[in-house]
Amino acid sequence: MTRVPARGLGRGALAVALLGSIAAFSSPAAAADKAAILLPGSINDQSWNALGYQILKSLESHGFTTAYSENVGDADEAEALRDYASQGYEIVMGHSGRFVSAMQQVAPDFPKTQFIAVSGNEGADPNVMSIDWNNAQFGCQLGLLAARMSKSHQVGGVYGLQGVPNITAQAGGFRICAEKAGAKVSIVYVKDMEDAAGAKEAALSLIGQGADVITGKLNAAETGLVQAAKEKGVYVTGRGFDQTEIAPDLVLTNIIEDWPGMFGSTADQVKQGKLFGTFVQYGYDTAPVTGASLWYEKDKAFNPVVPADVAKEVSDLAGQFQSGALKVEPTDNDARPGT
Amino acid sequence: MTIDIIAAAIRIATPLLFAALGGLLSERSGVFAVGLEGMMLAGAFAAIIGASATGSALGGIALAIVGGAIIATAVAVIAVRYRADNMVTGLAANILALGLTSYLLRVIAGGGAPASIHLDPLASWPIPYLSDIPTIGPLLFDQPPLTYLAVIGCVLMSLFLRRTQAGLTLTATGENPEAVFASGSSPMRVRMIAIITGGAIAGLGGAVLSLQQVGTFTDGMTGGRGYLALASLIVGRWTPWGAAIACLAFGAAEALELRMQTFGVPVSSYIVQMVPYLIALAVLAGIGRSSRMPASIGQPLPR
Repeated sequence: MTRVPARGLGRGALAVALLGSIAAFSSPAAAADKAAILLPGSINDQSWNALGYQILKSLESHGFTTAYSENVGDADEAEALRDYASQGYEIVMGHSGRFVSAMQQVAPDFPKTQFIAVSGNEGADPNVMSIDWNNAQFGCQLGLLAARMSKSHQVGGVYGLQGVPNITAQAGGFRICAEKAGAKVSIVYVKDMEDAAGAKEAALSLIGQGADVITGKLNAAETGLVQAAKEKGVYVTGRGFDQTEIAPDLVLTNIIEDWPGMFGSTADQVKQGKLFGTFVQYGYDTAPVTGASLWYEKDKAFNPVVPADVAKEVSDLAGQFQSGALKVEPTDNDARPGT
Repeated sequence: MTIDIIAAAIRIATPLLFAALGGLLSERSGVFAVGLEGMMLAGAFAAIIGASATGSALGGIALAIVGGAIIATAVAVIAVRYRADNMVTGLAANILALGLTSYLLRVIAGGGAPASIHLDPLASWPIPYLSDIPTIGPLLFDQPPLTYLAVIGCVLMSLFLRRTQAGLTLTATGENPEAVFASGSSPMRVRMIAIITGGAIAGLGGAVLSLQQVGTFTDGMTGGRGYLALASLIVGRWTPWGAAIACLAFGAAEALELRMQTFGVPVSSYIVQMVPYLIALAVLAGIGRSSRMPASIGQPLPR
């Protein structure tokens, strides 16, 4: 364990270099490669920041020594980025799209460092990039699936943070493809993506108005959607491994994100000297690394209640995205609250 | 549609009502109940742990009472015994509960990752005959157990405060602790018991969220409901039924907020989400100084 001096970080910010001993033994030549992540919160929040820590740890198997700083406040972003870059870190990540502007400010001074905003949606030449998965493609698949599984031809989505690009992409993708398949779509936004009881209430309001398939993109609150569906006996989609188990008869599928896959693929290229200055979005068109996948249980994408022809139709969308035959680009209006 | 909104209002109001009743005890005895959020959160956490450890909902409910009371004990000792500022103590208790529950959720799982416990939420108990009445039957008499308990709690609290000697001593402590002291009772003892009992009741409010509504605990899952409960008991002018009506009004406002979004009101969801809080602010501002606040609230006991 090496402690990295972290000047200018907020109170509570902590930088610790973690050296994976196995990686160090198996590839001693790569010991010079270093990657760091700046987290807006604390790594044990069970959600977004914990994911950031996992992304960082996954780079150890690609031969990187890693370090992180927690609770980096808005005003400290640029200084913290500069700190790691000046210590020779090849990859410096910020764990939210809002790090992009601080990166644009710092990047020109460190032309050999790759700056990456996790889940951002813009880049800056030559060395500031954002990485995210294509929410629109997967939202679209869920929209088609929901429309086909609905008997009332009304489907609903519960989201948080209206206007955030990846939310707009998924909610909008859902609406576009569900409406194309003939369903009426209602979307509501909740205040808090961690409040399960609040999300359940939102889902119940949609079900009360006739929706019989529910979807959403929330954090800890996603459980509330599944509970609402279970109580009312309607179908739902989740976003985690443990959500199928809550309502095995009703969870149609989950979007499982593959951040280690996305970052591993990028990190390998950076190691060979390549720099990215754009928004790199993984999806079916970037296979084999697709950024996310649909998952019901091991080796199964869909709940057995999904008829084979519907499962095929939803899976065929993936092929159309891969070949470029189909493109979905949702606007704010597609993701608007309401019907 | 109206029925649907009333049903939602009852669901949203239930956890608030428990917390408001708990806070009522504390405030009527003369101590601001700023720590309700933390007591609810501790109750929500303890309910899930208790229910999964004992395999019974009763175990969860019992532990929720203990959980809320533990946080309340800290508040009682610091604010009453050591005469600390009520606001600061309450806020500190909320932060303590947030950190402690998150930490313990990881300790029980071992290995740093939070425990993922999923239980079936409490089922509803239809009351025979009454639940068969058209419309109002399913609406009022087909509720999960803690919702009935909240109504019973409201009745008991009202009787306690107005009809019992202990209740009169409690309210007298909130108005004029010197007089209570002169009559031979200990105002300190009264306030401590009031806060701890109130915490136990607020803990039940947390159990409604975790045990009755979603069947799991997540970090900070009370999401500010303790503060809304605090507002309810003030809007309800420190009476159990007043607080109940205020909780239902906030519940209805929140239910309406979600439905307003689907009506396609052409405003941002952020604006619509503020509605319940704007109502609370407006009512609080309207009440102003005309309200019947316990006279000695927030003042430490004379030495």
